[in-house]
Amino acid sequence: ARAMHDRRRPYKTSNLARMMYDLTLSPAEVVSKWRGDAEVSEEEKEEEAEVFFRKSKIGDAANAEDRSIPILDYVALEEKFEDENTIEQLRSRFASGHMSGKGSD
Amino acid sequence: MTDETTQPLIHFEGHRHLTTRLLLSTLTGRPIRISKIRSSSTNPGLTRYETNFIRLLDAVTNGAQIQFSMTGTTLVYRPGLITGSAEGLGAVGGVVRHEIPRECSRRGVSWWLVPLCLLAPFSKGNVNVVLHGEGCVTSSTPTGDVSVDTVRTAILPLYKNFGIDRNIELRVLKRSCCPAPGKGAGGEVQLVFGHQVRLPKTLHLLNPGRVKRIRGVAYAVGVSGSNNARMIETARGILNKFVPDTYIFSDVSPTPLIPSSSKSDPSGKSKGAVGFGLSLVAESSTNCLYSADVASPPQGGTTPEDAGKQCAYQLLEKISQGGCVEVTAVSTMLLLMAMGTEDVGRVVLGREVLGTEEAIQLGRDFKEFGFAGWGLRDKGEDAEGEVVVSVVGRGVGNVGRKVA
Repeated sequence: ARAMHDRRRPYKTSNLARMMYDLTLSPAEVVSKWRGDAEVSEEEKEEEAEVFFRKSKIGDAANAEDRSIPILDYVALEEKFEDENTIEQLRSRFASGHMSGKGSD
Repeated sequence: MTDETTQPLIHFEGHRHLTTRLLLSTLTGRPIRISKIRSSSTNPGLTRYETNFIRLLDAVTNGAQIQFSMTGTTLVYRPGLITGSAEGLGAVGGVVRHEIPRECSRRGVSWWLVPLCLLAPFSKGNVNVVLHGEGCVTSSTPTGDVSVDTVRTAILPLYKNFGIDRNIELRVLKRSCCPAPGKGAGGEVQLVFGHQVRLPKTLHLLNPGRVKRIRGVAYAVGVSGSNNARMIETARGILNKFVPDTYIFSDVSPTPLIPSSSKSDPSGKSKGAVGFGLSLVAESSTNCLYSADVASPPQGGTTPEDAGKQCAYQLLEKISQGGCVEVTAVSTMLLLMAMGTEDVGRVVLGREVLGTEEAIQLGRDFKEFGFAGWGLRDKGEDAEGEVVVSVVGRGVGNVGRKVA
């Protein structure tokens, strides 16, 4: 329980409000920090230094364009929405049939 | 507005968010300078679709000044007045015809349309623009642009929340799909935006409601209509257990013909790209919209069943992210809120929606242009739920309509 408690809680609104206009962080860093993804490890930092020499990879170009449809992993999504628990959770967002998730609003 | 010569340039770097920045510059009347546009890329500078977008901006404004550097990696833009489709300023018969050439076919036409729709309410006169040409792709694209159907059914209805709802129409004159590199698309769409306002209304959207109906458009261009039926069947199979009120329209259209440009055969025509796709929109009881878009890739190789399935799951994912606004529409909503009266507007966003690079960069860009920062707080005590974003309008509104 302590381990759970010590870990910084992801998606905390006040954290985002603080980081939002902190221009020392890039938007990508803000997102990953807020989500509580693992901190950038030393290894990755070293890699970043190397990136300087081998920039503009092919995969980089696709990544760097503005998108309005996010890239989704459809296999994972299919699993997610085949799962009974997720379906039940999601049902409260729909105005259909029996109101199993009623009272959540 | 102060004298143009005294206004300092606002500096930006990089090619990302180019349309948003040009849009904000035009709406606020502040000149901008964007440097380091793909400066480290093997193909540096602005792309063809980006310069084409600037051309479109020039067509609907009057007095804009644009300067490029030699390599195209630096851009200085001094916006003009948004005149819309005023006669004598590029419009013929009240319509601006804007051609998107073949080189721009990587992006869908929504990439031009969504920013254009945002300019339109603040224009001096009506906006009536036809986008056509070999680079005009009406379907959604692998580069992440939504289809025109989504713009029509999921983005344009949002303007109603801001009191902008009359004489707005988006007509799909010719459908087209995303072509393979070097091929033409040949679509044609017309945007009629006849409702100009002084200031958009302040928005308070705090209840996402429950999804009550799903509508959609399945389109097949130059391929058999049975593709539509197969997409619809799969999508309905997944969605029906959530919403019985699901109805998907089917649109089968022939391949658009593109006039050939070769000298040997000047009257010849070639066929545009073929393909199919599906656009789904879920509407909640409080009129919040969630959209999903999938189209067949230009190289082919996907079955309609896959497309239908992916689209349905994409829609469910968007709904499960919660909030009143989904990712695709979030910049439209927040921008209209910021352009509103000097009052606090509030909107509920899902955490996944707010926690994207685009949303954060948008907030920062707003601040650069002198808008107030966003206020963020949790909705209710539940820290896992949604976030209330408060946006203070700047009261800039429509410069062309300021004179009483």
